[in-house]
Amino acid sequence: MYNSPSPKNSPRQNKPNVFNLLKPYSLMVSFLVLFSLLSNGVNLFIPKLISHGIDSFSSGEFEYKPLLIEFMVASLLIFILTYGQSIIQTYTSELVARDLRTRLANKISQQSYSYVIKTNPSKLLTNLTSDIDSIKMFVSQAVATIFSSLFMIIGTCVLLITINWKLAIPIIAVIPVVGVTFFIVLRRVRELFKRSREIVDWLNKVINESIMGSAIIRVINSHQAEYHKFLAANTDARNLGMAILRLFAALIPIVTFVSNIAMIVILMLGGHFVISGNMSLGDFAAFNSYLAMLVFPILMIGFMSNIIAQASASYTRINAVLEVAEPLETGTVKQPLSGNIELVNISLSYDDKPILKNISFTVKALSHAAIIGPTAAGKSQLLNLLTNLMKPDSGTILFDGHNIDSFDKESFHSQIGFVLQDSVIFNMSLRENIAFSDKVTDQSLEKAIATAELTDFIDSLPNKLDTIVSERGTSLSGGQKQRIMLARALAINPKILLLDDFTARVDRKTEKKILCNLENNYPHITLLAITQKVASIKHFEQIILMMEGEVIAAGTHKELLETSTEYVQIYNSQRSTSHYEL
Amino acid sequence: MNYNLNLSASATEKKKSTLAALKRLLNLIKEEKRTLILATIAILINASLSLLGPYLIGYTIDTYIQTKQFHGVIVFSGILLTMYIIAFITNYLQIQIMGGVGQRMLFSLRNVVFNKLQELPVDFFNQNKAGDLISRINNDTDKLNQFFSQALMQFINSVFTMVGAGVFLICINPELGTAALLPALIIWIFTKTISPWVKRKNAANLKSVGALSAEIQESLNNFKVIIAFNRRDYFRQRFNEANKANYSTSISAGLANNIFTAVYGLSANIGQLIVLALGIYLITTGKFSIGLLIGFLAYVNSFYHPLRHLAGLWASFQVAMAGWDRISQILSLNTNLIVVPNKCSEPTSSYLSFRNVSFTYPNGKEVLHRVSFDLERGKTYAFVGPTGGGKTTTASLIARLYDATKGSVLLDGQDIQSFTPEERTRKIGFILQEPFLFSGTVRENIMYGNAEYANLPEDKLTQLINESGLEILLSRFDAGLDTQVQTTGDGISLGQKQLIAFMRAVLRKPELLILDEASANIDTITEQLLDSILQKLPATTTRVIIAHRLNTIENADEIFFVNTGTIIRAGSLNDAVNLLLHGKRDS
Repeated sequence: MYNSPSPKNSPRQNKPNVFNLLKPYSLMVSFLVLFSLLSNGVNLFIPKLISHGIDSFSSGEFEYKPLLIEFMVASLLIFILTYGQSIIQTYTSELVARDLRTRLANKISQQSYSYVIKTNPSKLLTNLTSDIDSIKMFVSQAVATIFSSLFMIIGTCVLLITINWKLAIPIIAVIPVVGVTFFIVLRRVRELFKRSREIVDWLNKVINESIMGSAIIRVINSHQAEYHKFLAANTDARNLGMAILRLFAALIPIVTFVSNIAMIVILMLGGHFVISGNMSLGDFAAFNSYLAMLVFPILMIGFMSNIIAQASASYTRINAVLEVAEPLETGTVKQPLSGNIELVNISLSYDDKPILKNISFTVKALSHAAIIGPTAAGKSQLLNLLTNLMKPDSGTILFDGHNIDSFDKESFHSQIGFVLQDSVIFNMSLRENIAFSDKVTDQSLEKAIATAELTDFIDSLPNKLDTIVSERGTSLSGGQKQRIMLARALAINPKILLLDDFTARVDRKTEKKILCNLENNYPHITLLAITQKVASIKHFEQIILMMEGEVIAAGTHKELLETSTEYVQIYNSQRSTSHYEL
Repeated sequence: MNYNLNLSASATEKKKSTLAALKRLLNLIKEEKRTLILATIAILINASLSLLGPYLIGYTIDTYIQTKQFHGVIVFSGILLTMYIIAFITNYLQIQIMGGVGQRMLFSLRNVVFNKLQELPVDFFNQNKAGDLISRINNDTDKLNQFFSQALMQFINSVFTMVGAGVFLICINPELGTAALLPALIIWIFTKTISPWVKRKNAANLKSVGALSAEIQESLNNFKVIIAFNRRDYFRQRFNEANKANYSTSISAGLANNIFTAVYGLSANIGQLIVLALGIYLITTGKFSIGLLIGFLAYVNSFYHPLRHLAGLWASFQVAMAGWDRISQILSLNTNLIVVPNKCSEPTSSYLSFRNVSFTYPNGKEVLHRVSFDLERGKTYAFVGPTGGGKTTTASLIARLYDATKGSVLLDGQDIQSFTPEERTRKIGFILQEPFLFSGTVRENIMYGNAEYANLPEDKLTQLINESGLEILLSRFDAGLDTQVQTTGDGISLGQKQLIAFMRAVLRKPELLILDEASANIDTITEQLLDSILQKLPATTTRVIIAHRLNTIENADEIFFVNTGTIIRAGSLNDAVNLLLHGKRDS
């Protein structure tokens, strides 16, 4: 039921109300409120029992047994109600947190790659952890307290009015004063809480970078520089914490002071009424004790306002993620790819700087093509477009004559093997890292491992395929990681294989073997490889030369040697050692 | 060395007492002593005034209202007003001061933990997950802050009120007083028995929070692969597992934490019952009066009411202590790369030497076996060999990212362990296989950690860059030095990252420069440029090049073939190629 966001919530985006979050849990919340009201109610009963005991003793009708029984029953009832309330409270708050987290994670998992990068993983991490935590705190502490406090306030106000309405007016006048104070403080603090969440994002980012870059930091001994970055973020966090504190530090004392003033007013005014004979002393005493009962819930609401303010700041942030539209899935084509790739007038910019300019070329099914070109020519971005990780600003990408967007996503990705330039290794077993898709059979896993020349390496490990790789693959060498990435792409038996500089960290002999294996084991594959090494792709049907986002030339090795001076230049830069090639 | 925080034995083996842990924690705020005293005074004044208020009101009613003397009412109202104003100020002060202490403690605690992370070697980061560490620095420290800024002053306040009321109880009637306090004794025993269990539940919970954070961190950082392989379901599934684990540990922690409130409430009521029953009995024996009993009951209330409050605080104390344990786990780690006095100094012409060096990773795999070689000043060395053969490990030992398991590494004739990190990093430049950029500009990245040029004016920097021949590389970036770069994302290519890492290392002018596949993703034409820049380095600079491309290493003075833990000197490039293509290997 939590999957459908409440309809009231979605149209207003600016200030989502954190209380709306509780709607799906209204049953649990009502029980929570009920239990807390009941335990408060029974608690009020205890003084009555005591006064009754004393009264009956004074009048000489005292008996131990009924008193003991009644008292014990009430105490046990309170115990059960209190702990019952805690149990419901714990379950409700954890459920709300768990469900919200699931909702958020589902939402993120449906988003595009560019969305996650743009939003920044550090911020999403804060959303899923600290932000959810403050909402959890809101449910577990604030909800029951606020309802029971409001109940108490209204109840005592009614009692006060029935006793003496003239005297009740100055007391009830306190409530709007307190209310306005809360309103002002909360309005100012909302912005601060929002910023404090952003600082947590910032802290996360600094810590994250200092962990990811831990090697370079140690190589150039730049601990100090990192510490200064952290200090800047941490100092801001402290200053903001202090600013929030200054606002809240005044809130509770003001509330206490105002209610104390009300006490004095009662004393003087009530004293006057009693002295002038307009009020009985008993009423006056009752009035006083009820007033004391009024102050405590007001104070509690004061404490809770802090938690509510934090939770609404967090909820606003979470809602911003939840409300982003998911990328539309319109693709329906599920037919098996034969491997024809066609790019028509593709352009792409990144932060207003053009990366790809009007790129057009075709790769025929089952052919082998290579893209070669200098650093930052836009080669890797091209592969991002071909795997639909990103969308071009203009132009069309066709696979077998169908627009890339018309394909069913699952069927499309299951036919395209993609080896990234940088190694992405997960902290799990080698088997899971390679058989990353759930459709991989043992047979295709075996074939992929053999093709990537990993068999010997895996056999040398004590736990073979079940060896757990550390996060970021720190226990593996660069070449091993690249070959794992290749095996991962091959394990899905792709129709089209896209390689991004995958042999950069693999030695010559292994590279030759892999290319040979590829041709033998996967004869029906369309290959598009980005590379820097002319020698490995000389025999490819097509070589596309890219520079600064444009296709400079395309053709076979032979043709390019005759037509493209740039290609000749690249070739010559590698020629000096080419006589070693076999 | 075992740096894995979630497996570390030290966490379980020595069961530290809460008091000792608390003491170490208080050490962090020892310079706050005066502020704390001030805060305590404010708290005490505030607590006394709030105890005194009802008493004065009662007194006014008894003496003036009942006797119809309005003048006295006004006088006492004035006294009360003064009191409440003072209470307002002390109340404000106590919140402000204690909140400030909490914030400052959080601030210095985070700094201390982050600083500790910076001290620890690379090995530590290989063994722990980024998300878990982030959770420790942000989440666990915040649990401590919550306790210190909010709970501690209420704690002091409650304890003060309780002690006051307890003393009154004993003074009024020792027998009845002792009986009234009996349930408190039971609570004390109960708390002492159950607290370790509650703390364990909270520790398990914080651990699962760390695991959840690690899971999110890993998935989000590898989102590209998850999408390219269409495994969004996999992200959801792994997340759900971590989320579910977190849910169940949170529930048990929540249930454990709430036990205090219910039990404390129960014993408070039992305390009242004891007083009532025993009081009535005492009255029948003539030792007590009804008036005294009513007053006595009021004091029982003011004893047990703060106790109920303490129940909640005690739970938050247990959470804070569990968080503190996780933080102290990091703080108790020490780097194993300490600077030791020079042991094996030998007169040598070599700039760097390996003497029977063996190296084994913590997972037990031996990567280098009794390796020895010498590198001369000013020469260029190439290290070639199959992947996984030990090239990067050799380079990491030269840069002392790790220490050799056996044997020694000599730098300039001295044990490398005898150099301070500053000296060592000034001498040795290392371009890592996987370039890393900090988010910021290209300028910030190439000047990163470079104290010497930190405050260099713009024109001097340009001059320096031109002298080193780096301006051509810089022209590969649209906005030159001011080009914005990000740690993650596709705004910048891997080749460009390698260019930045190259510039960063060259500008530091090291005596020994290691290039670990530093140009693997750079096109061969630009690579020739890099080569010419390397030639411009001072003649005494020693270069160590690890590469697979033969044209990268053809100009080397000497070539070493690294494979299966051994390093063999190849006579010529031909030799090396033969070894590469036909040599026995194991990768």
